[in-house]
Amino acid sequence: MKLKKLISTLLVAAMVIATLVGCAPAKQTDSTPTPPAASTTDPTDSTPSSGKAFDKLLTIENYNVAANYQGVQSGWFAKVLKDNLNIELNIIAPQVAGGAIYQTRTSSGNLGDIVLLERSDFADCVATGLIKDITNEIYNCPNLMVFKDQIEAYNKTIPGNDGKIYGIPVEMTNTSPMSYSQDVIYSSPMLRWDLYSELGCPEIEDLDGLLDVLAAMKENHPTNENGDPAYPFSLWPDWDGGDGMMGIANVVQLTTWYGEKIKQSVILKPDNTFTPVTDKNASYYKILHFLNKAQRRGLVDPDSGTQDWDTACAKMSNGQVYLFWYSWQVGFWNSTERLKNGNAFIFVPVKDQLYYADSDSYYGSGRIIGVGSSVDAEKYERIMAFLDWYASPDACEYQHNGIEGFTYEIGADGRYYVKYDNALMDNLPVPEEWGGGGYNDGFNKFNQWIVAAISTNPKTGEPYSTQYWSTYKESMMTQMKKEWAERFGAAEPVDYMKKNNVLLVSPNVSITLPGDTPDISVIRNQCMEVLNDYSWRMIFAKDDAEFNAMWDQMSKEMDGLGFQQLVEFDKEVYSIELQAKKEAAESAR
Amino acid sequence: MNLLKDRKKARSYREFLYILPFLVLVAIFSYYPLYGWVYAFFDYKPPFPLSMDKFVGFKWFKSIVDSPTKINQVLKVLRNTFAISGLSLMFSWFPMVFAIFLNEIKSKGYRKFVQTVTTLPNFISWVLVYSIAFSVLSSTGAVNSILMGLGLIDTPKLFLQSSNNVWFRMWLWLTWKNAGWAAIMYIAALSGIDEELNEAARIDGASKIQIIWYITLPSLLPTYFVLVMLNLANFLSNGMEQFYVFQNSFNKEYIQVLDLYVYNIAMGSGGYSLSVAISILKSIVSLILLCVTNTLSKLVRGEGFI
Repeated sequence: MKLKKLISTLLVAAMVIATLVGCAPAKQTDSTPTPPAASTTDPTDSTPSSGKAFDKLLTIENYNVAANYQGVQSGWFAKVLKDNLNIELNIIAPQVAGGAIYQTRTSSGNLGDIVLLERSDFADCVATGLIKDITNEIYNCPNLMVFKDQIEAYNKTIPGNDGKIYGIPVEMTNTSPMSYSQDVIYSSPMLRWDLYSELGCPEIEDLDGLLDVLAAMKENHPTNENGDPAYPFSLWPDWDGGDGMMGIANVVQLTTWYGEKIKQSVILKPDNTFTPVTDKNASYYKILHFLNKAQRRGLVDPDSGTQDWDTACAKMSNGQVYLFWYSWQVGFWNSTERLKNGNAFIFVPVKDQLYYADSDSYYGSGRIIGVGSSVDAEKYERIMAFLDWYASPDACEYQHNGIEGFTYEIGADGRYYVKYDNALMDNLPVPEEWGGGGYNDGFNKFNQWIVAAISTNPKTGEPYSTQYWSTYKESMMTQMKKEWAERFGAAEPVDYMKKNNVLLVSPNVSITLPGDTPDISVIRNQCMEVLNDYSWRMIFAKDDAEFNAMWDQMSKEMDGLGFQQLVEFDKEVYSIELQAKKEAAESAR
Repeated sequence: MNLLKDRKKARSYREFLYILPFLVLVAIFSYYPLYGWVYAFFDYKPPFPLSMDKFVGFKWFKSIVDSPTKINQVLKVLRNTFAISGLSLMFSWFPMVFAIFLNEIKSKGYRKFVQTVTTLPNFISWVLVYSIAFSVLSSTGAVNSILMGLGLIDTPKLFLQSSNNVWFRMWLWLTWKNAGWAAIMYIAALSGIDEELNEAARIDGASKIQIIWYITLPSLLPTYFVLVMLNLANFLSNGMEQFYVFQNSFNKEYIQVLDLYVYNIAMGSGGYSLSVAISILKSIVSLILLCVTNTLSKLVRGEGFI
């Protein structure tokens, strides 16, 4: 009894300290929103806020889950911010500082002046009063109001929200939630065109056929030009468990080649049903087995399980890898010169595959920008001015195209021409008049855009992304591209997929899914670790018997950690999303 | 009489003030953080502050062992912790012997050189140690290149990926990094040995080995014992950086020690409450170990070390 009393006294004392130290600041009580001024939605008839002169330099603290740079923005983009808005951006990046910083900053009651969070975290922060209600001001921001529908649609999905605006989705497009505007999809098999045509461009029937082609490539070219050993596959473990998918990152991406999409612990199949990741008939097993077969044929880089992302990237740009599967990987190899020489990477279809792709991120990619609840009135005005500017065509050109006159130029015909398409990769020195420093070093470290690169630039009528400029496409019409088009009867990879009916586009919806409870997050974490560890060992298994024994052992261990409970939870959560997607698809029809 | 008493009192106040700053520091940095232990008794998820309706009692403590798989996992982690700590305890004499031999080197320049070279790795962070290990031991690293060049193997050996002798290899890395640094304490103790003892022994005709055995070693033993006892109390803490950088899916079964386990559980997706619960258990066990070794020390040597 005495002990109990003591414990409870201690706990109460601790609670008192906790409330003293860790309480959130008093919510700002502006609970009477003035009706939004609907007339300001036309961007042309109000003065853009970026034109306002601010004479005091202001530092804005930005908590940013997308950033992989921590500290004050420097270089040419810092100069852009200073010239346009007289602000300085101080970025706090949990990717650099570690996830625990989220816990300390939220309990201190001030996450940052501008915050960029994942959706479910954002909803939690709104619930705990860390995010400011921006309803009154956002309707006066002409550039943001271009995305009025998307912003309102998102804010309706915040649990318990009654018509107020808290957050702005990022990577929104001005296309439509059902369309797919890009020329390539996020994950598809890509081969070096010179090595592939050397083999006579054989038809690839299935994954075994792909392995045959890759094995032939490795036999013809066991090393790159410098004599370093080359492998068709070079994997890396750093990304495992990321992007809301359990399992090895490199494997889960490849499951989209068969129309399946991993949603945490479950796989969404093309027939809109869910099955656990551990289902032997689903694609995670299939792809893992494929990689194991590749490994047994000596096609997988033996350092795959122990090297980090930087090492893997170095191999990609050294020509030591013969198969790419992420669309961004080509950035490490393809250049104008290589496209002209015909030794660049390009999509090569495998006959039995059905490619899954998420449509244009009309409603945003999932992350949300908000304003911290503890900013004062003056700072608040400046922040809103920044956010509105950030969504303006001028700012989008800085973000997606770089500096006019340096990375691109506007021709006499008014069309945009790329000047240096490898400025980022080569970290070109920027002339002093634009801020100096390396181009990549001074690149926008916010690392997330309100307007996606595939959106149409109202100034040109073409997407912001340089790769989709008509001038760029004309200059890229190389011999290799012509050969490819002739061989597969389509202008671009996505054209081929659409033509042959092998592209499965999943509509973009606006939805906030419930986050994990503490119990579920522990189960998820422990299961994920078991799954990842076994998966890597399975890739390096000696034979099928060992592979299958490991798979069974893994399933047993995961069940012991509560995997079935996790599957039930995820099925329920992602059914909500699935339902919304079905409705979106039907209404578009 | 009264004056004398007052003066004594004033002195004791003054002396209390001397230690006050240290008491405050201890309170802030050692006792205040203990308040974080409350998280183990709640369903905690940032950014929601703790509230009484999320109080769950001992749920997280029970959840450590509530299924055979979990018990198995915890046992494995404990096995690794004990094996790795045990191994370093078993070889804890190594820095002492190293210091003695170092001390015997007559050429001063060479001795300083050896000491500097062996101490330097202590200042390299584990992340860098791993990148050294990777460039030496990867499939295209120096070791494999030499072995393949000599024709001893035809396919590269995956040293970093193998789970064979992980504990011993970890001990080797630790020794490479720490031996020189750990020897400093003994070198200091060596210089404290009365030179007369050595001279007397030499006059009596003792050989070098005899001097080491009968004079140097016994003089170092008290230092050695204190360090061993402190290590024993720290038996459950192997630190986590080393194992964090060297862990991969292939060796995790043998490399995951308690500290790393806590980190892996908590940092992945915020299992804060569970990891606090494990840390509490660890602290309690460490405290018990400290008391036990202190009592042992009192029994064996007649004096404790705390």
